[in-house]
Amino acid sequence: MKRTTVGLGLLGPSLDRGLDARRWEAWRPTVSLFQHEDLLIQRFELLHDLKHKRLAETVAGDIAAVSPETQVNRHLVELSDPWDFEEVYGVLHDFARGYPFEPDREDYLVHITTGTHVAQICLFLLTEARHVPGRLVQTSPPKGRSGPGAFQIIDLDLERYGRLASRFAKERRDDVSYLKDGIATRNAAFNRLVERLERVAVASRAPVLLLGPTGAGKSRLARRLWELKKAKRQVQGPFVDVNCATLRGDGAMSALFGHERGAYTGAAEKRPGLLRAADGGVLFLDEIGELAPDEQAMLLRALEEKRFRPLGGDREVSSDFQLVAGTNKDLSTEVRAGRFRDDLLARINLWTFRLPPLRERPEDIAPNLDFELEEHTRRTGTRVRLSREAREKFLAFATSPGTLWLGNFRDLNAAVTRMATLAPGGVIGTDDVAEEVARLELDWHAGEAGAKGEELPDVLAGRELDPFDAVQLREVIRVCRGSRSLSEAGRRLFPVSRAGKENPNDADRLRKYLARFDLTFAEVRPTFRA
Amino acid sequence: MTSLVEIDGSQGEGGGQILRSSLGLSLVTGRPFRIARIRAGRKKPGLLRQHLTAVEAALAVSGGAAEGASLGSLSLGFHPGRVVPGAYSFAVGTAGSATLVLQTVLPALLLASGETTLTLEGGTHNPWAPPFDFLEQAFVPLLRRMGAEVSVVLERPGFYPGGGGRFVARVVGGRPLSRLTLLERGEVLSRRAVATLAHLPRHVAERELATVRAALGWDAAETEIVDARASRGPGNVVTLTLSAEYVTEVFTAFGEKGISSEAVADGAVAEARRWLAHGAPVGEHLADQLLVPMAIGAGGEFRTGPVSRHTTTNVEVLRAFLDVSVAIEADASRVATVRVG
Repeated sequence: MKRTTVGLGLLGPSLDRGLDARRWEAWRPTVSLFQHEDLLIQRFELLHDLKHKRLAETVAGDIAAVSPETQVNRHLVELSDPWDFEEVYGVLHDFARGYPFEPDREDYLVHITTGTHVAQICLFLLTEARHVPGRLVQTSPPKGRSGPGAFQIIDLDLERYGRLASRFAKERRDDVSYLKDGIATRNAAFNRLVERLERVAVASRAPVLLLGPTGAGKSRLARRLWELKKAKRQVQGPFVDVNCATLRGDGAMSALFGHERGAYTGAAEKRPGLLRAADGGVLFLDEIGELAPDEQAMLLRALEEKRFRPLGGDREVSSDFQLVAGTNKDLSTEVRAGRFRDDLLARINLWTFRLPPLRERPEDIAPNLDFELEEHTRRTGTRVRLSREAREKFLAFATSPGTLWLGNFRDLNAAVTRMATLAPGGVIGTDDVAEEVARLELDWHAGEAGAKGEELPDVLAGRELDPFDAVQLREVIRVCRGSRSLSEAGRRLFPVSRAGKENPNDADRLRKYLARFDLTFAEVRPTFRA
Repeated sequence: MTSLVEIDGSQGEGGGQILRSSLGLSLVTGRPFRIARIRAGRKKPGLLRQHLTAVEAALAVSGGAAEGASLGSLSLGFHPGRVVPGAYSFAVGTAGSATLVLQTVLPALLLASGETTLTLEGGTHNPWAPPFDFLEQAFVPLLRRMGAEVSVVLERPGFYPGGGGRFVARVVGGRPLSRLTLLERGEVLSRRAVATLAHLPRHVAERELATVRAALGWDAAETEIVDARASRGPGNVVTLTLSAEYVTEVFTAFGEKGISSEAVADGAVAEARRWLAHGAPVGEHLADQLLVPMAIGAGGEFRTGPVSRHTTTNVEVLRAFLDVSVAIEADASRVATVRVG
C-alpha cells in the first residue's frame, strides 16, 4: 500500500494573492508547493475564511492546473482576528482535533509559510505538540527570475528544531519590545521586569500593580500594556488614565463611579464615571494610595463583582475593565497605618512590578535620551541632535552616581525638551548642556529646602524634634532613600570632608548619626517587595 | 524477444528521455525492462513527477505493472501488457510538457490496430520539450508521409508556469509505416514568424517580430501576432516555421520574465540560421523524434546537422530494445547522415 502525502495550510491573503493572469508572475507560496517536480502532495486541505473565498477558489484552480495529481479540499474557518493568538490557536486546534488523521497510511505536511506570524506560531505549536502528526514544510521564493523556488521539510523530531524555536522566541521578544516603546533598554533588571509584565499582560486580566517613584514611567508602561492587549485584540475598550491624588471629596466618588442626576448639590447632569468609561478596556489608577476609604471600598467591590452603584443611583451598573494601579508609597506601611484597606491591597497585589528609578538604570539613559530626542523631532517636526561633545558631557552628568534624577523620566524629558527648544540651529552644544545641568541641580536642591521638605518623613511621624534637627534629618532621610546602600548615602552626604581623609568611613558616621534618633538605614529606607 | 532489458539511466545525456524512450519501446516490443541509476548525475536525481506521469500513461494504455514507481526512486522495473487502443486522458503537473507523454505512448499506438483518442493536458508550449507547433507542423506531417494516420488539435495553449493547456491527438493504429528518406531540403517555399501572446502587452510581440524581420530580412506579411487569451496564465512564444520542398522545420523561443523581447526573438533566429546554414533538411529536435518511428517502421535515412548527445543516447536505447542497425556518418562540416535499418 502506497502512502499518501497530505498537505495542510492556510490561504495567505497577501502572499497567495492575485486573481488575474499576472498572478503567475509572482511567487505564491501555496501554489508553489505544487510546482515542484520532486514533491507530490496527493491531497491538500486549504483553510481560508469566507472573505477570501474567491481567492481560495482561484488558488485551488491553479493547484489543479499545475498538479492534476492533487485533490484540494477547501475548509472554511472563521478568524475574526488572525493576529489574536488565543483565537487562532483555538480555531486551528479545533480543526486538528476534528480532522480524521490516519498516520498509518498518510504522511502530513503542515505548510507554515502563509498566514500571519501568529498562525505560523500556532501551526508550529500544534505540530510540536503532535496535535498534527506530521512535519512542517516551509516554502521560499526563487533566487532567480522565475520558478517555484524551494521547499524545506522540517521534522521537529530532528535537529532543525533549534533554529525554528529561536525564530519563534524572537517573535515573542518583539512583543516585549512593544512594551518598551521600542527603546533598546539595557538594564537587565528592567528588561526582566518588562518581559514578565508582557507575559502577564497577554495571559491575564487580573489587576497589575506598578510600584515606583514619580516619573519612573508607570503611566507610559500602563498605556503600552493596553496598546499591546489592543493589538492582540484582548481588549476593545479604551485606556483610561487618572491620578488619584487629583481626586478629592464627593468629586472623587463621582469622577470614579459616576452619579445620577441630582445625586448631590450641583450634580445637574448624569455622569457615567471613569470606571464605566473604561469598560472593556484598561483603567490606570496612579497613586492609588491616595484614594479615600470610601472609594477604596467601592473599588474593591467593582473589582470583585464587576458591578457598583453610582452616587445617588438605586441600580447597580456593570463595568469590566482591567485595573493597572500605580503607587509611589509602600502600601503595606499604609495598611499598617490604617490608611489602606488590606483586602484591596490583597486584590491588587497579585502581579506587582517595581519600576526602578532612573538613577538605578544608568545604562538606559543613553537609549532613553535618543528616544526623547526622536520624540521631540516627531512632535515638533524639526530635527534636533546633540553635538558629540555635548552628548558625552550630558551622559557623564546623567549617569554619575551623584546625579539625583528626582523626577526620573519626567526630568529627563523636560531636560531634553528645554535643550532642544533652546538649541540654536537644531544642534545642542556643550554650553546648552552646562546650562541644563545647572538648572537640574538647582531644581533638585530647591526641592530639598522647599515645599517637599515641609512635611516630616513618615518614620519621624509623631516625634518632637527641634527645627534644627528636623531640617537636617529630613535631608539625611531623603538622601538615604535615594541611595542603594548605607555607604552610597554616606558618600553623598559627606563628599567634602571625605576628600580630605585617607580612610573615610562615611557609612559609620551616618549610622551613628541615625542611631542618635533611634533610626536604622533599613527603617529609613524600606525596600519595596518586587 | 521477451527477455528483460537492462538500461543504465545515467548513460549519455542521462535525463528523462532515456526513461521515456524505454517505456515507448517496451510498449512496442512487449519486452519488460529495468532501468537503474535514473537521472543519477542530476541535481534532483531519480524519478520526478513528470516521469511518474509517463509511467502511469504507459501502464494505462497497456495494463502492465511497474515496481519502484515512486518519487525520487533511482530504479524502475516495467512489465508492459498488451497495448489497447481507445480513449485516454493524461494530465501533466508542474506545467510540464504534455507532448512528452504523447511521445511515450505514440509509437505503440501507431502499431496497435484501432483508433485512439488521447486528451493531453498540461504544458503545450514548454521550453524543455517539443512545443505543440513543432508536433503539428514538423513531426506529424512526416509521420503521415510514412503512412501513419495521426492528427493533433490544440484546444488551449498551456505555458509555464500556469499550465492548463490541452490538445487532442487522434491515432488510427495498424497502418503500415513506409521507409522515410529525407536527404534533401529543397527550396524554402514559405516562411512564417508568429509571436504568440497570452495576457501580456502587445509591444512584446511587436518587438519580437521586428527583431525577426531585421535579422532574417523577412516581410511584414510573413509575420503575425496571435493572442492566446484562452490561456490560463501569461505566456509568450516566438515560432519560426520554414517550409521547404521536402520538409517543414519549426524553431521556437520562449519569453521569460526579465529577458528582453529582442533577446527572446534572437534565440529563435539563431536556431533558424543554424538550420539554414548547414543545409540539411532535419534539425536537431526533429532528428530526435524521427528515430523511433523509423526504427519500428521500415527504416530510412535522413541528413541532419551536428548530432546531439540526446540523439546518440536515444540510439543506444533503441539498440537495447530492437535488433536494428543505426549508422551515423558525419562529414567534414559535421553534417550527418543517419541510416536506420
